This record gives sequence, structure tokens and C-alpha cells, in this order.
Amino acid sequence: MTGYLVVSALLIAIGATGVMIRRNFMIVLMSLEIMINGAGLFLIAMSYYLGNVSGQVMFIFIAAVAASETAVGLAIAVMMYKKKKSIDINDFSILRK
Amino acid sequence: MEGIMFYIISIITVGGGLGVLLSKNPYRAAMWMIFSFFGIAGLFVMLHAQFNAMLQIIVYAGAIAVMIMLVMMIMDRRMLESLERFNPQAYWPALIGLALLADLSFLAYKFKINMSNVGKNLTINGSNTQMIGEILFKHYLLPFEVTAIILLVALIGAVVLTKKDIS
Repeated sequence: MTGYLVVSALLIAIGATGVMIRRNFMIVLMSLEIMINGAGLFLIAMSYYLGNVSGQVMFIFIAAVAASETAVGLAIAVMMYKKKKSIDINDFSILRK
Repeated sequence: MEGIMFYIISIITVGGGLGVLLSKNPYRAAMWMIFSFFGIAGLFVMLHAQFNAMLQIIVYAGAIAVMIMLVMMIMDRRMLESLERFNPQAYWPALIGLALLADLSFLAYKFKINMSNVGKNLTINGSNTQMIGEILFKHYLLPFEVTAIILLVALIGAVVLTKKDIS
């Protein structure tokens, strides 16, 4: 059981680090997906080891929320690309005067 | 046998994640991400969650990866490949990530649960999908409908965000 939990911890840490240190907005979105998958792996592992199928049902909800989050994130990326011709996150500062 | 399979699939999964974290070219990063998603589907099969393994391949490695690749396709390739890799002050966030990893691994080693019913109650008549359907529509009907509304709102929000011309 510890192996699955360590793999899930590794995925969450890799995703969080990628969100914090990368500059390309596309790779920030990919790191978010990796992080969500780490949380889903934890849910499925606990559903197996506790003998309760509710964790697998929760993973379906997680997949739906991840899909909508990616759609909104990509819409923001396209909007900023039309404005700035770049998706470097240091250029994403239209709310700052 | 199962232990060796677990190590191979974990190396695929974590290696895909590290590829996303370290590769400069975003197309290669998307390929590493798909690699990692297939590894996670393999881990789901090892945990007797066959329905969720197929859902993982269809939704993540199919829909989300294709969506990200399509948006990268309509952008300028030279701009995408010429962006710098890391933030100039990337050391402290990397340290925070390492601390998060140490914390979660410590919790994983200290985590103890009642191991008396491992692998039980996951199927009904030998079918994992039927069991998920039973639980989903008997106990989680309201969250299911709320998820449908979330998807609709995200769709409308994406259309509005891309149509509006900010100046």
C-alpha cells in the first residue's frame, strides 16, 4: 500500500513544482493535470484497500472537474495569446496597472 | 511478479511526470504527459478499477491531451519553443516542492488503516462497472447532477472567454 501512496505523493509534488517553476502556460496546465491524477490515484488506492467503491465514484467527478478546468484554462490561454502573442506567464498581467 | 509490474509502471508514471517538469519543448511535454496517463491507467488496473482505467485513457489521454495539443497547434511554434524553461527565481519553489514531497512521503509511511477487507466490495456479479453505477445513482445522484451543471458552465465560460476581445 505504501508504494501506491508514495507514487501519488511523487505525482502531486512534481505537479506542484511544475506549476511553480515553469514559465510556459501550457506546461503549467499539464502540471495541473499531473497533480489531479496524483489525487485520483490516492482515491483509487484507498478504495481498493478499504474495500469501498465510493473512491472510484469520486474519481469520475474528479475527471469531469479536470476536463472543465482544462477547458477554461485553455480559453484563458487563447485569450492572452490573441492579446499578447505570447503565453509566457510573466506577460499575463493585464489586471495590473 | 506483481511487485515487478508495479515498479515498472511506477517508473513509467513518475518518469512521465518528470518529463513534463523538465522538457523545454511543450510538444514533447505533452507526449510525456500522455505517457504518464497510460502509466496511471496501468496502476488502476492493478488496483482492480478496470472501469476507471478505461475512463482515464478515454478522458485524459484522449480528450484533455488532444485539447491541449489542438490549442498548441494554432499558436506560433517558434514562440512556443523559444520560451525560457524556468523562472529566474526557481530555487525556492523547487525547495517547497521537495518539502511537500518529504511531507507526503512521511504521511504515506505513517499511514495505517484496517486491512481486513482489502479488495472486497469492488464488484457486483463480477462487474466493476455495475457496482460503480449502483453506488453512483443510489448515493451520489445530487453530486452527479451538479457535475453536469459544472460542465455546462465551463463550456459557456470557455466560449465567452475566447469570443470576447479584450483591449
